[in-house]
Amino acid sequence: MLPNRWVSHFVYAGAWLALALLAGIWLGNPAWWLVGALALYLAVTLRNLYYLDRALEKGAPVPPATRGLWAELFSIVVRLRSKSRKRRKRYRRLVREVRQSTRALHDGGIILNPRNEILWCNRAAVRLLGLNLATDVGHRIDNLIRNPDFVSHLENPGGDSVSIPSPAMEGGQLSVQIIPYGKNQRLAIIRDITREVRLERTRRDFVANASHELRSPLTVIGGYLDALAHDSGLNRDWRTPIAEMERQVSRMTRILRDLIELTRLESSQEEAPRDFIDVVGMLKFIEREFVSGLRTPRISVHFGTDLALLGSEAEVHSIFHNLVSNAVRFTSPEGSVHVRWESGENGAVFSVKDTGIGIPEELIPRVTERFFRVDPGRSRELGGTGLGLAIVKHALQRHGATLSIESEVGEGSLIACRFPDNRLVARGGPARAVG
Amino acid sequence: MEVESISQHTSRRFNKDLEGIHNLVLNMGGLVEDQFDRAIRAIAEADSELGLSVAESDHQVNEMEVRIDDECRRILATRAPTAGDLRLIVAAMKTITELERIGDEAEKIGELASRLATVKRPSTNFRELRNLARHVKGMIRDSLDAYARLDVQQGLEVMKADKVVDEEYEAIYRQSLTFMLEDPRTITREMDLSWAARALERIGDHTKNICEHAIYMAHGTDIRHSSLTNVESEVSQAGIVKEAAR
Repeated sequence: MLPNRWVSHFVYAGAWLALALLAGIWLGNPAWWLVGALALYLAVTLRNLYYLDRALEKGAPVPPATRGLWAELFSIVVRLRSKSRKRRKRYRRLVREVRQSTRALHDGGIILNPRNEILWCNRAAVRLLGLNLATDVGHRIDNLIRNPDFVSHLENPGGDSVSIPSPAMEGGQLSVQIIPYGKNQRLAIIRDITREVRLERTRRDFVANASHELRSPLTVIGGYLDALAHDSGLNRDWRTPIAEMERQVSRMTRILRDLIELTRLESSQEEAPRDFIDVVGMLKFIEREFVSGLRTPRISVHFGTDLALLGSEAEVHSIFHNLVSNAVRFTSPEGSVHVRWESGENGAVFSVKDTGIGIPEELIPRVTERFFRVDPGRSRELGGTGLGLAIVKHALQRHGATLSIESEVGEGSLIACRFPDNRLVARGGPARAVG
Repeated sequence: MEVESISQHTSRRFNKDLEGIHNLVLNMGGLVEDQFDRAIRAIAEADSELGLSVAESDHQVNEMEVRIDDECRRILATRAPTAGDLRLIVAAMKTITELERIGDEAEKIGELASRLATVKRPSTNFRELRNLARHVKGMIRDSLDAYARLDVQQGLEVMKADKVVDEEYEAIYRQSLTFMLEDPRTITREMDLSWAARALERIGDHTKNICEHAIYMAHGTDIRHSSLTNVESEVSQAGIVKEAAR
């Protein structure tokens, strides 16, 4: 259905032609009259088209209102124009607001296009990264922030953020996270974590120093207790207390040793070395240690593969030993512990399955916290330090391995460590290869 | 990134190749910066393990150099670039050589750090050396920034800073000599120390060269072996010529 203005336009045009035709019939030469009328119509139309063109392209003022179709078209142009002006104003205000608010933000933000070029960044980003807003827009960010960790994070942004030293602030540390959004756009959020890093280091240093300082007096006490325990002239009544004291001293020594080990693991940012480790041999050795115990559950070791690991021997031993000794400790002598070393898809898995007391589901995420105990009284009695799984977790991290825990209360637990392919080699094969 | 000297080409692949070279050089620069940082940290924190790991991972830098070199040769052979494109390739090939040498010096510093970690440290904990290292670190960063941004001004600034580094090296060297004369037991340590300072001074020279290559790439003026004032006037002239040509 045609709009009203067109209907009336046709009516007018038809009337105009009819009038010319009538005049032609009346005065003779109707064809020429018709041609004249059409020419006039064309002239008017062309003139209005010209005005419309100018109005649309250059925003020139529209001609004063005539009537009919053209007047309405021009009024539509005017309406659209004022609408777009209002909209533009609104957007401009919005952009200004956004800019102002992001400028007030403490964290840096950079908008990147798919080619990693900087589209925009806020003032905090300029300050934290030492960018130059005037010249750096359009430059690739990885040309300016060249830290290898950052560059690899930019290529595959995982969920985690990376920590890089600030190029602009001496001794500053930044945490950068890349968030994809929209169509191939990416947002980099930069946070200043200098203070957090410093606090964390202070805390670590404190724990390390305190442990070291406590160790020497403890050694002295232990030495005297040992001498006392073997002193035959000692009153019999003192036997039990001294034996108890010795037990407690050795427990404290164990805790301190674990604490020092844990701090060392935490503070080294490097990956673990790549020494050749014969896993099969190591596990057999650990098995022997536990099998000989009197009140221990049945232990079986199953080898699905004889792959060897590339890692730090002491750390891998501590991982295996801690996990096996945990399983043994929390399983009754009637139960059993299955240790397996198998190759799976992309990596090899070391797992320990026991029929012990198990871990309540809601506590599983917390078991790797230091000094966290599912059942405080019991595990202390069994001689645990509360640091074993924390050490395991950190040592695994240094080997690029992951820890998974499945457990059911009363049924037992399955703890698995998955080592990545690049840390595995064939046993007896070349000591260095793969990856 | 749209480097100014990368003109638009009908072949988009060619453009991409040139950009790739530019980015690879800067990636390598990032790697070298990281190596240097870790070597210096190894000295400051007396971390012999870290020092050795720096020395061991120098091969990454070398591999990268070989890779970029191959890529450049491939482009030279297949595309026969001219003018700005040729300058970009030539500058890249020269810059990676400098970067590789900086990597070598960082390796040396790493080794020295692992040795210095085992000896008794002076009460200042090598403050002069750390100071020098901070300057040199800034120079590496600024020279690579100048290379990335084709920023002549920043390049010239780095070349000026090299003078300070030379003076500081001189001061450390003299101080080491004094220590050695006073107490021969410190000779081993002080020798290592002045070797490290020497390595830093050499790195400063290499960053200066990188700036020269960056300026060459941006303007096409070869400013090697000419005095700084000459360079400045030449560059500003080139700048004017360029402005006029637009």
